[in-house]
Amino acid sequence: MNFLAPAAFAFAATLPVVVLFYLLKRKRVVRVVPSTLLWQRFLAETQASAPLQRLRRNWLLWFQLLLLALMILALTRPYFSGQAGEAGLQVLILDASASMQSTDVTPSRFEAARAGALKLVDGLKTGFGERNQQMLVMVAGANAEVRQSATSEKAALRRAITEAQVTDSTTRLAEALRVAETLTRDRADAEVHLFSDGAGIDLSEFAAKELRLVYHRVGVRSENAGIVAMDVKANPENPAQRAVFAAIANYSSAAREVRVELLFDGELRETRNLSLGPTNTTPVALVTAQDRDGVFTLRLTGKDDLPADDEARLVSLLPQPVHVLLVTKGNRFLEKALKAAAPNLELAVVSDYTDLATKADVYVLDDVAPTRWPEGNVLALNVAATNWFAAPVGEIENPAIVDWRNTHPLLRFVTFDNVQIARAMAVKPPTWGVSLVDSPQSPLIVAGELGRQRIVWVGFDALQSTWPLRIGFPIFVANAIDWLNPATAKAELFSLRAGEAIRLPLGDFGGTGLTSAKLTRPDGSERVVKLDAQTRELVFGETSRQGVYRVTLGTNRLTFASNLLDSQESNIRPRDSLQVGKYTEVTATRQKRADLEYWRWFALGALAVMMLEWWWYHRRTA
Amino acid sequence: MSGLITVDLLRRLEQLQLLSARRAKSSLKGERRSRARGLSVEFADHRNYVSGDDLRYLDWNLYGRLDRLFLKLYEEERELPVRIFLDASASMTFGEPSKFLLARQLAAAVGYVALCGFDRVSVVAFPEATGETAARETAVRGALRAVRGKKASMGYFQNLAALTAGGAADFNAALKRGAMEARQTGVAIVLSDFLDPAGYEAGLTALIGRGFQVHAVQILAPEEIQPTSFGDLRLIDSETGVEQEVTFGKFRLAAYQQSVANYVQRLREYCRARGVRFFSVSSATDLSVLLLKQLRAQEVWA
Repeated sequence: MNFLAPAAFAFAATLPVVVLFYLLKRKRVVRVVPSTLLWQRFLAETQASAPLQRLRRNWLLWFQLLLLALMILALTRPYFSGQAGEAGLQVLILDASASMQSTDVTPSRFEAARAGALKLVDGLKTGFGERNQQMLVMVAGANAEVRQSATSEKAALRRAITEAQVTDSTTRLAEALRVAETLTRDRADAEVHLFSDGAGIDLSEFAAKELRLVYHRVGVRSENAGIVAMDVKANPENPAQRAVFAAIANYSSAAREVRVELLFDGELRETRNLSLGPTNTTPVALVTAQDRDGVFTLRLTGKDDLPADDEARLVSLLPQPVHVLLVTKGNRFLEKALKAAAPNLELAVVSDYTDLATKADVYVLDDVAPTRWPEGNVLALNVAATNWFAAPVGEIENPAIVDWRNTHPLLRFVTFDNVQIARAMAVKPPTWGVSLVDSPQSPLIVAGELGRQRIVWVGFDALQSTWPLRIGFPIFVANAIDWLNPATAKAELFSLRAGEAIRLPLGDFGGTGLTSAKLTRPDGSERVVKLDAQTRELVFGETSRQGVYRVTLGTNRLTFASNLLDSQESNIRPRDSLQVGKYTEVTATRQKRADLEYWRWFALGALAVMMLEWWWYHRRTA
Repeated sequence: MSGLITVDLLRRLEQLQLLSARRAKSSLKGERRSRARGLSVEFADHRNYVSGDDLRYLDWNLYGRLDRLFLKLYEEERELPVRIFLDASASMTFGEPSKFLLARQLAAAVGYVALCGFDRVSVVAFPEATGETAARETAVRGALRAVRGKKASMGYFQNLAALTAGGAADFNAALKRGAMEARQTGVAIVLSDFLDPAGYEAGLTALIGRGFQVHAVQILAPEEIQPTSFGDLRLIDSETGVEQEVTFGKFRLAAYQQSVANYVQRLREYCRARGVRFFSVSSATDLSVLLLKQLRAQEVWA
């Protein structure tokens, strides 16, 4: 038997107090009687007839001492480790997401979850003559990982739990639960124990009919401010400068004062003091010069519970001029929109594209089917290459715009209210892209990546619509150029979410023919990856920690920035319940202590003794 | 009436007569048979005439037949001294109605019956009176020492009513002294609660030894028989001031009553062994029932 609150044994100091009360003269009610003779006789006779009188006289004292001892034992919260659950197979899922690094419970939520998991292992019944219980250990961090397959071997389970590491990534819990569901499908007595804080977990798409999920909550509070978004753009007011945009969220219920520091390659460029309102997200824009490719690091100073989201970094490549080749029969709207699309855009206008040697970063095909289809990124209006859509390509009159996907970067700040279209191509939604604007019959705008080529396809002639007259048109063109610009794609290549694998096309970075690549992790440790002639792409998956990863390919040094940047994960408020699917809600259990602890029994015993003592007292005096 | 006893009850008491198992030994004339030879209508014996005898008592019929002179002797009728020992200690003031009231009522009734039978009544109240009213109290007690004749009954009642109780009694000493003081023995009636720490044996023995026919009436208050105070108690003896700590509850009531019954039973057996008539009554007992039924049944009077 162990005690959760052994400090309560200090109450044992009250035991002598009870004895002291008995040493003190009891206050008695004074009564004058005719004669005490009868009483003396009475006392003499009852004493004479009861040999246990001395003991019996003190029974009240013993009752009270016992009562007190039971109460102290209840206060110390004794428990027997074990009897955690009856399930034959227990699937243990440890949430290893970034929010589990929070230090609101010492040393951290993840360590608390680990301790709880180890306790669960202790409670596993694996002895002789008992029905063996099995356990399976999964860690849900950047990806769901089975660390230990189902076994009754406690040492192996403990090792798996002890070796689990917390990551900087978001939670992939649905994935873990899906695996758990698969593993427990044919086990009626399986139980899933999830140790998590519930932060950043979205299971609304997950319908767990068969899964018995027990949610062990860790964490107590939400004292955190963090960077939840970061972007680097050219300063619109001064193209020579770079503007770093960020969103700083405060998830505590009190206002916070923080200082934001902007570093470029480790060199402090700019600081700003911010006052963050409670549970508010504050945007911040910092402007600085940039003369080379490098890494912008944004840092929040000030102590909070989760340090992981106090730093974000972004690989920023020096802006290069964008070469745009417009193939058109004449479209002033488009031409003007393109010229205004980017500060350093170089536009060339031709009527046909015939020579592949004419290189541009972005090709815009306006209602012209070129003689040669360009290999670069394409914005195609009212024209489609034969391999883009499944035949047949039809035509529709006056398509109505019913929906558009304004969350896509291409449609940022673009609306299609009040846009009429005379005629559009009718195609089937392709597999390589997503439809951004829909009519009932056909997608009208599709964006996607076909092979290594980015394509934005607009299925109607802009001049046959009212669209160029709307403010959304030039914004769309600007967004499209930004999205199609290979430099953007390249920058995106270097920006990763924590846990996302580094994927590097070797051909683009002079890596072909090399036999090895060296990878430097954020903590400085290095790893050499063997390459062979067939390798087209270098994939490196051990990016669960955020930071700057550097890849050395021969003489080429490439920098990758891995960030958390997740508002769900930064909101470290422990959730009391998890919504699973549409109809199920799993409420946090309290570590299954009801089964482990015995203070209730002691309290019950104390109550019984108290009633006995009461009865005994009144038996004597009532 | 002085409140001790009702007129109706007195009228019925007039028909009673104290019964005495022994011949009266008093020197004063009364209505009791005695061993003394004297003047009465009851013939007792003959004896030879000696010169100087009153010729009026010669049996002339016998002289005529036998020619010898015999004197006729008659039984002398003497009075029966009734001595009432009245416990007037502080312990008698308890009870509702108080034990002392019942004791005085009994004394009044017994005294009245005796007075009606031309017997002499003396009330011995103990302990001695102390305090402010001591002088008046002593006078009252003095008047109660010897009362005779039915005419005196009024004063007797008033004096009894004027008695007060208080102080600590030495039961044995009081009875011994009362026994020694008495010139003639007769009926002794002891009205007390018999709750003296020193016991009652010596006093009763002294009375019996002196030749009294003793009636003992133990008067207990209802609260002594069935206590009403429970809990942790510190009991103070009203006479001696002795403190006794008792933790008492309803569950032990039966045990207490058993020990009271044991005490009374011991007293009763002591009395029976010595020819003493013993009664134990609660101070709440109805007086007329006690006088006309219980005492009559026990042949105190008829």
